[in-house]
Amino acid sequence: MSRRTKLWRYLSLAFLAVALLAAGFALYLDFRVRSEFEGRRYALPARIYARPLELHAGLRVSQADIVDELRQAGYREGPREGESGWFVRNGDGLEIAVRPFVFWDGPQPAKRIRAAFAGDAVVAVRDAEGRDVPLVRLEPLAIGGIYPANNEDRVLVRLVEVPKHLVQALIATEDRHFYSHLGFDLRGIARAVVSLVRGNRLQGGSTLTQQLVKNFFLTPERTLRRKITELFMAVLLEVHYDKNEILETYLNEIYLGQDRDRAIHGVGLASLHYFDKPVEHLTLADSALLVGMMKGPGIYDPYRHPQRALARRNLVLRGTKDQGYATMEQYAAARAAGLGLNPKAPKGTSPHPAFLELVHRQLRRDYEEADLRSEGLRVFTTLDPGVQRAAERVLERKLARFDREKHFGKPGLEGAIVVTAGQTGEVQALVGGRDVRYRGFNRALDAARPVGSLLKPAIYLTALAEPSRYTLVTPIDDGPFVWKSRGAPDWKPANYDGKFHGAVQLRTAFAQSYNAASARLGTRIGIERVLGTVKRLGIERELKPYAATLLGAVELSPFEVAQMYQTMASGGFRAPLRAIREVTTQAGQPLRRYPLVVEQAFPAEPMYLLTAAMQGVVREGTAQGLKNWLPPESAVAGKTGTTDEQRDAWFAGFTGDRLAIVWIGYDDNRAAHLSGAAAALPVWGELMASLKPEPLALPKPEGIEIVLIDAQSGLRADWACPYALELPFAQGSAPVERAPCASALGIAVEEVKQDAKSWLERLFGR
Amino acid sequence: MRYVLALVAILGGCAIVQQPAPVSAPVPVPSIGSAAVASLLDRARADVVAGRLANAAASLERALRIEPRNPRLWQELARVRLKQGEYAQAESVAARSNSWAGGDNRLRAENWRLIAQAREARGDAAGARAALETAERQR
Repeated sequence: MSRRTKLWRYLSLAFLAVALLAAGFALYLDFRVRSEFEGRRYALPARIYARPLELHAGLRVSQADIVDELRQAGYREGPREGESGWFVRNGDGLEIAVRPFVFWDGPQPAKRIRAAFAGDAVVAVRDAEGRDVPLVRLEPLAIGGIYPANNEDRVLVRLVEVPKHLVQALIATEDRHFYSHLGFDLRGIARAVVSLVRGNRLQGGSTLTQQLVKNFFLTPERTLRRKITELFMAVLLEVHYDKNEILETYLNEIYLGQDRDRAIHGVGLASLHYFDKPVEHLTLADSALLVGMMKGPGIYDPYRHPQRALARRNLVLRGTKDQGYATMEQYAAARAAGLGLNPKAPKGTSPHPAFLELVHRQLRRDYEEADLRSEGLRVFTTLDPGVQRAAERVLERKLARFDREKHFGKPGLEGAIVVTAGQTGEVQALVGGRDVRYRGFNRALDAARPVGSLLKPAIYLTALAEPSRYTLVTPIDDGPFVWKSRGAPDWKPANYDGKFHGAVQLRTAFAQSYNAASARLGTRIGIERVLGTVKRLGIERELKPYAATLLGAVELSPFEVAQMYQTMASGGFRAPLRAIREVTTQAGQPLRRYPLVVEQAFPAEPMYLLTAAMQGVVREGTAQGLKNWLPPESAVAGKTGTTDEQRDAWFAGFTGDRLAIVWIGYDDNRAAHLSGAAAALPVWGELMASLKPEPLALPKPEGIEIVLIDAQSGLRADWACPYALELPFAQGSAPVERAPCASALGIAVEEVKQDAKSWLERLFGR
Repeated sequence: MRYVLALVAILGGCAIVQQPAPVSAPVPVPSIGSAAVASLLDRARADVVAGRLANAAASLERALRIEPRNPRLWQELARVRLKQGEYAQAESVAARSNSWAGGDNRLRAENWRLIAQAREARGDAAGARAALETAERQR
């Protein structure tokens, strides 16, 4: 064999090896490109919505409040024919072009309605033809999302939804030969090579396909090897997929800016974020702005650098015109247009992070974290935006004022508020601290603080459940009290005012929150029994069976306290606090409903008696100050709570329609020198007054009778007693003995009264 | 004479009696208050007929958000819960209806019958009998 043939053989072997290697590399890249592109599913965050406003005649809401909510939802003032999402005010009327929305139970089309107001209420709701409409659901506010770990947010769009001029502007600006090239552009590469030879950094010359590959598969390094890999992959992508598929993916992938901690991806979300309209409604000028931003969303951020963004937009417009995609007139009109930005302040992942956290936790019981962050679930919650904003405002304002008055230095006072619908347990608002936009320590859920007297209702409820032993007027000794237990120092609870009050009526001991009397009562009935009541009220935490527990040496979060008082607000029916109503898939398929669940934890009678005692707290006890905000007819039931050295100030109370818990204190447990009545109650009062509460009117259970009682003696009173009040008693438990002030004629009077009453009843049939 | 004196006493004394805000306002005769609630109730009934029980319950909950103290809505919800096989909830919700029923004995009787059915379905025959007897007494 000649040396030449030998050499030839080596050469062809080597060539074969290289070819095999190249083919292997190509196959590997091909596999990666196909599997990743096809397996690509964008992680879509769960979207969280507030409750929809149900507009109907009789609704107690002012025109201003509705306008406020419409603005929040991005509705604009002024008619825009052929579109929805606007409203017009005319005197006491409000015309709304309601946007279409897919609710949990199906889609609701766009509709035009007119609402008429009188004072602070809706008096009529009519359709465009003037017919009465019983009920209209407005679309709920989007209040945030549960985002993938990188906080990437996007709203997927299909290419057919994207206006042609957006695509044209994109192609004119980023890749003129997109429709004809094979994934790379020789001219671009030539430019890149020249710049490399000149010693500059490798740059430019990327087609849309290459940019997409870069985003998808590669790390952001700039080396020749990577550039070549990128080129290969771009070609492979072009071989497997058509131009439109590549373009659509590009439009959904592209990064278009930052909204606080949230990354805006894709033109779908960008058009909502920057222009507050869906992508199909983008004008040429809007489109050019977005396309211009693609080069550098930070540099061309239209909020922070409007001039630069505008110049860049006009450059894009010029290119679009030069490429023949826009006429001179279109170009001139677009150039003359303003930026047209959505004026709404950017809101980050949520304007109400504390409430969102509650939603997130409740969702995690039923869903995998990964699904919440990627499946695009739609979550309909119970948040009432008006109540939430009112709670946030009151807390911010009051805490700032307390800080000024106290001169106590930094960090300032903190606070938390929970508001629920009293009868159903739906959480309407949750504030986790004074910095309401801060996504950090959530005091409403996680600050476990001593509750002080807030636990006392459990003592009195346990007592009142035994009407043969305890009624509202049973005398309780408020003398000095000592509790001895082995292995522990003696427990000697003192009263808030430092005095002891001797024998007082049970209702007074409760209203004035006397510690000695309450401790005596609680230990007499039995600590274990009282703790059983606490548990039945809805506290799941295990409490230590110590006597001091009775007076609130127990740490609970405001949310747990809300659960406990919820049971009282709904007449003894325990309803788990809920923040979620329904969950659907991204397409609107219902997945799960969180129904209203109630369970009778206490009979109606003792609960009624306890409520009367809690109304006494507000009428004549520690919460009398509430009269500065609410009239006596509101008949609010509540309880103040103050802990040692006034480290914690609480107020828990309910009206006919809402329950609210307020906690105020320092994070580092400093003494705040503010009592529940001085600090938490004003917050509560101001908040509730702004929400125009319904009066509390519990239905009287069958087993309850109302008896006129002499306030002083707690005995039966009549017309002759100067200070008499009507008190409820379990049937047969009311005192029989007559008060000293009662008339000697009392018996006769009662008989006559009865006779007259039945005579009148016969006469009028009622 | 005794009566005359007493009458004088009543007329004279009434003004003195201090009337604190009572716990209970007179319970209004339960009825469907508004057109909004009526429309939701209609919708819920239609959903029941069509077998869409979850939707029916959702509509009733919407109605309850508008009129949380309306015992008829609670009763309707108890009926739907019973159909859904949620017997414990049916009983609790019927009891909730009772708590708002005021003097409406027919409504109470119907609630007790619902409770009886829920107990029966759960295999509590004695409890069901007791509930039926209570229903009988509501007249």
